[in-house]
Amino acid sequence: MSALTDPRGAVEELTRPEGWVLGVSVAFLLFLFVALLTGALGPTYFLFLVGLAGMYALLSFGLNSQWGFAGLINFSVAAFFGVGAYGAALFTASGSPLAELFEGVPLIPSLLGLPVVGLVVGLAVAFVLAILIGIPTLRLRADYLAIASLGLAEVVRLIVLNERWLTNGSAGVRGIPGFFAGWPVLGTFPEAMPGLRLEVIPGSPVLLETAFWRASLNVLLVLAFAGGVYFVLRRAHRSPWGRVLRTIRSDEDLARALGKDTYSFKMQSFVLGSLVMALAGVFYTHLNLYVGPGDLDPITTFYAWVAVILGGSGSNRGALFGGIVIVTIREGTRFLNDVALPIDPAPLRLLLIGVVIIAVMRYRPQGVLPPQRELIWPSAVDGGGAPESPDSGVRERKGGGGDE
Amino acid sequence: MTVIGYLANGLVFSSIIVLGSIGLSLVYSIADFANFAHGDTMTIGAYTALVTFGVVGGLGGAVLGLPYGFFLALVVGIAAAAVVAVVTERVIYEPLDVDSIGLLITSIGIAFVYRALIQIRFGSDFTRFDIQPLRPIESLVPYGVRVTLHDVAIVASAAVLVVGLHVLLQYTDLGRKMRAMADNPDLARVSGIRTRRVKLWTWVIGAGLAGAGGVFLGLFNQLSPRMGFNLLLVIFAAVILGGIGSVYGAMAGGFLIGMINQLTPFFSDVVEALPIWPGWLASLLESLVSIEYANAIAFVIMVAVLLVRPNGIAGEGAT
Repeated sequence: MSALTDPRGAVEELTRPEGWVLGVSVAFLLFLFVALLTGALGPTYFLFLVGLAGMYALLSFGLNSQWGFAGLINFSVAAFFGVGAYGAALFTASGSPLAELFEGVPLIPSLLGLPVVGLVVGLAVAFVLAILIGIPTLRLRADYLAIASLGLAEVVRLIVLNERWLTNGSAGVRGIPGFFAGWPVLGTFPEAMPGLRLEVIPGSPVLLETAFWRASLNVLLVLAFAGGVYFVLRRAHRSPWGRVLRTIRSDEDLARALGKDTYSFKMQSFVLGSLVMALAGVFYTHLNLYVGPGDLDPITTFYAWVAVILGGSGSNRGALFGGIVIVTIREGTRFLNDVALPIDPAPLRLLLIGVVIIAVMRYRPQGVLPPQRELIWPSAVDGGGAPESPDSGVRERKGGGGDE
Repeated sequence: MTVIGYLANGLVFSSIIVLGSIGLSLVYSIADFANFAHGDTMTIGAYTALVTFGVVGGLGGAVLGLPYGFFLALVVGIAAAAVVAVVTERVIYEPLDVDSIGLLITSIGIAFVYRALIQIRFGSDFTRFDIQPLRPIESLVPYGVRVTLHDVAIVASAAVLVVGLHVLLQYTDLGRKMRAMADNPDLARVSGIRTRRVKLWTWVIGAGLAGAGGVFLGLFNQLSPRMGFNLLLVIFAAVILGGIGSVYGAMAGGFLIGMINQLTPFFSDVVEALPIWPGWLASLLESLVSIEYANAIAFVIMVAVLLVRPNGIAGEGAT
């Protein structure tokens, strides 16, 4: 808002890390833009990457509303992501065993194949799973919650891997339509659009064809998802409900002494975050058009964790930044393998993720973009002009680790 | 196979789990965080032993079907795991200014770095120690027990290590200091114990046992960069079952989880034989209690124990 009316002032107001992130992001965008124009980076692939970054940002938003808001250490991100993805995939895929399963049942066969219904199904399954996992684990101490949730996520992965009659086992599910398949206008939009041929640099034309338009629809979709979730989470975080969660995060006994049912609040936060993760899964299904049990690997969980702790726990813009970094690591290692170093991308990716985790915990445990102004009403900062906002004490105690 | 046969297999697998869970529990009680890099410390031990064994070869004679060179490789593997853990503690964990949750998250990063380095060096394929696989011991086969001399060697070595640790904890100065520190680090410090040194020794012992567990796991199954991480949750289940921070609880928990894991085929036979009503429940149980879900069963038991007894079977009252 203020950035539009007073750009210079807005830039000056940035903290140093914010300035750095902004600078690096702009440089990175310019680099990508040049690569696009010269044809080194296919526009369709670029939009796929944007979609993927949006997907990781969604995943991080979900984790953020558990770890950042209420301090829940949830290591079962991959399970919720996978359940959302598989729920939507099985409901919409052409060769899905659900068609046989529901044969003769009224109404359901006519709904099969509709992505919107798949979305609802994916979220519903994640909702049930969140309650099932939450009931036993949310009463536990923080580190026990971490171990137990990782274990339960592994149980979900094993079930997906072994129940071949439903999930097709390790071969995964194929034949998934795009999210807009069957929609009135958007369903045929990619085919209806004419193919464009841009020649910015002579000799290396940039072709914009059906695949490109399909990818741009996906980007619009993820922008809509991420924007909606961001808005809801921001409202939620600033609401009285969000304040209770922050109190629980910094001192659960205090929240209990104030008469709050902390278990119930933690469960609400857990379910909310899980739904957002499942939403990311649903989007991933329609972006990638294939899901396999490899998507439920614990590494997916830790991708989301890296995004969140890198950005700063509780910070939604941090999560967005983290999502972009994750995609850069994921696809950058593949690119590196193709072009420069013949190192297998999988371990390199693992190495980078590990190094990023260690480096963040060592040098900036509060994250690169810790939540500052975004957590409180802007007027609180503008009016007082004092950096000591009421909740900064809470945050310092959390991030600084004063227990030692 | 008979029940005794499954029990014998369970004993072998338990020995490996016990070695892993003791180290994890020691580090949990003295360094005060859940070390997610413990499984990959096992992997380091296993791969170091693989390389060492490849270099030194058999060295002539053999005990229990294992050449002398293998035991040398075992010692080198234990040493390597311990050295790596101590270096990690000094370089990474010690300078950190975060709480125990921060340490937990850092340990995940360290686990990834260990695994990535091993995978870059050795590839992600399965390998084996270059030792001739043995046939099951003939005299035991009629009882339905199919264990090899190698399995006997695993159980015997694990027993030696566990008894050694028991003696160390109960009868030596270091052991007393470690127990004091696990109980109350501040009190231990004011009474003149050099807590930093004790912590380093804890890492040496914990990681060393993990390295031994890794070598035996490689001998029992195969080696792969994921072997340790895959086992990590089973080990956590054992530690939680026994009660976090209790070494003897970890032994008991490791023994139970290892047994349950290897007895899964027996349980599925039992489930099939039992007259369960209604029919859908029977078929559901039959499909869930199978070898594919052996690890899942361990995790579910872990969560159940956490619900009923959050401090484990041998845990103390306080959290």
